[in-house]
Amino acid sequence: MTAAAEAGQEVAAALATRRLARLRHLDLFGLVITLTTLVFAVVWAFPLYWGLVTTFKPEYEVVRPGVQLWPEHFTLEAYVHVLMRTKIGIWYLNSLITSGAVTAIVVTMAVGAGYAISQLKFPGRRLFWWTILASFMIPIPSLTVPHFILMSQFHWINTLPGVIAPQLIAPGALSVIIYKQFFDSVPKDFREAAVIDGASEFQLLFRIYLPMNWGITTALVIITFIGAWNLFLWPFVAVNTEDKMNITVGITQVHDAFGVSYARDLAVAMLAALPVAIVYLAFQRRVTQAIMLSAGIKG
Amino acid sequence: MPHVELRRVTKRYGSVTAVSDLSLSVEKGSFTALLGPSGCGKSTLLRMIAGLEEITVGDCFINGVDVTDAPPAKRRIAMVFQSYALYPHMTVRQNIAFSLSVAGAPRKTQSERALEVARILQLEPFLDRRPAELSGGQRQRVAIGRALVRKPEVFLFDEPLSNLDAKLRVQMRLELAKLHADLGTTMIYVTHDQTEAMTLADMIVVLDKGRISQVGSPLELYNAPANKFVASFIGSPSMNFIDVRIASVNGQTASVVLPGGRETMVRVGAEGAPGDSTELGVRPEHLTVVDPQDPTASFNGAVTIVERLGNSTLLYVDTPAGQLIVEGKGNLDVKSGEPVGLKVMESQVHLFGPTGSVL
Repeated sequence: MTAAAEAGQEVAAALATRRLARLRHLDLFGLVITLTTLVFAVVWAFPLYWGLVTTFKPEYEVVRPGVQLWPEHFTLEAYVHVLMRTKIGIWYLNSLITSGAVTAIVVTMAVGAGYAISQLKFPGRRLFWWTILASFMIPIPSLTVPHFILMSQFHWINTLPGVIAPQLIAPGALSVIIYKQFFDSVPKDFREAAVIDGASEFQLLFRIYLPMNWGITTALVIITFIGAWNLFLWPFVAVNTEDKMNITVGITQVHDAFGVSYARDLAVAMLAALPVAIVYLAFQRRVTQAIMLSAGIKG
Repeated sequence: MPHVELRRVTKRYGSVTAVSDLSLSVEKGSFTALLGPSGCGKSTLLRMIAGLEEITVGDCFINGVDVTDAPPAKRRIAMVFQSYALYPHMTVRQNIAFSLSVAGAPRKTQSERALEVARILQLEPFLDRRPAELSGGQRQRVAIGRALVRKPEVFLFDEPLSNLDAKLRVQMRLELAKLHADLGTTMIYVTHDQTEAMTLADMIVVLDKGRISQVGSPLELYNAPANKFVASFIGSPSMNFIDVRIASVNGQTASVVLPGGRETMVRVGAEGAPGDSTELGVRPEHLTVVDPQDPTASFNGAVTIVERLGNSTLLYVDTPAGQLIVEGKGNLDVKSGEPVGLKVMESQVHLFGPTGSVL
């Protein structure tokens, strides 16, 4: 072999060694990152796991000192109690009605309001827009007392309309802002072409603007529904009988004469979270999109 | 009676005047191009005819009917946008039939009309596709189809070919010309491309800063520009302008002194007077390359750049009158740096006064 060929082989070997070292380095780095992520995931998910596992334990196992990662005696007693001896069916129904109503009303109003602010010219449009933006500065829990007084004056305390009405504000404002921004981004030519074709404002909204933004609508529906379903404070304040409670409030009612039963409390909490978890898993891309949209607005 | 008429139309946006006291008549069945540089008001004018912009002052008539305050849908017009404005969530069939659908036409009618238009524009294989699945030329045809289905009295085109590549532009130009020939409908076409205007239009309206510079047929504008703006805008390469002095005027002929001292004869109107400083306009193809010693040469100069285009040659020549562009047929035997004489074709020159108007 000539000297030049030998030198060439040496260089090639050195390069290969360096490449391997770089790959190993990357693998190691990736491994560390993966392990760290795993640790965080376990820390984050553990309470959920613990809660779930607790629901399958008898109460004496729950209160026993020590950590038991798996039930010694697997039981469905907590679920049976919750399903048979509480009004969870009514709570679910109330949650469904109120969350569904909030979602339907919010999205319907937001579509119209967002379109009007974006595309129509009317006196007070700018003032209306600034009012909606300004409403973000008010923390919703601070309005609990005024809302209570108002619902009381309407005689809506302990009624489903009384639960629904104040929930329209925060998601409503956010949805208007999101729709307005997306309608603004629709090129003007589409509107003008449709106007020349004879489309009315309603036809423009329902046949052009809304269909071009179905993704946003789906995302907003999901996130509004999840938000309304998970809400506790206002439904807790606004109702005082079990038959008007929604599921998040109903959790507080699962107790007996002997005090707190952790397994049963957690069982009702799991059942409360189940529909939302299913919705999230089925539409997680849309939920993420909606969260990013609202984070962009609020940020 | 003109088919489309604008009477003393002005458009203001606050303190900015986009179109100023403009009157225009468009004959029925004509293909009229609104030509001008960006910002001259041509699109604004088109949009006022369409009803998409409110006319600040003045009136607009279509087929004798005052449509100044009429909404766009009631003007019997159809418009093809620069961006095509095809609804991305609808199929080609739905896009074409949209105006019929909005008007509440039966589905059968919508389908039949869409199919009829698709046949005319060779869009049948694409009826169930969405715009994103079409090429630029196909989208252009769908946009035309959507306009066609309305059976309008006037077609309005807002720079419809500007998004296409050069080859497709030529092809679509031919298709538009054919469409106009087949339908005979009045078409008003906005463009900044003089080639499109010259090849498609019966009549060109040249606009400058919101006012009409000249209205005429393509050849009228080319051969007899009314002012320096039209002369420089029409023609590629553009006209050469040379500062000259009128030596004497005899009836409708003036003798002008060229830079370098030689004289040439030019036809003039009544405005020219001896001693006046004016500009002489001569198109590149109306300058002939001659021997530098030729006594009939108007200028002597040196060639700086030679551009050989195959069917013609462009020469950039430095002369006492500045750099002049000369266009010769075929392949001229001239090299860069070579001294040449340039002879002006006296019957083809134009004299422009201080205001830019032709003398």
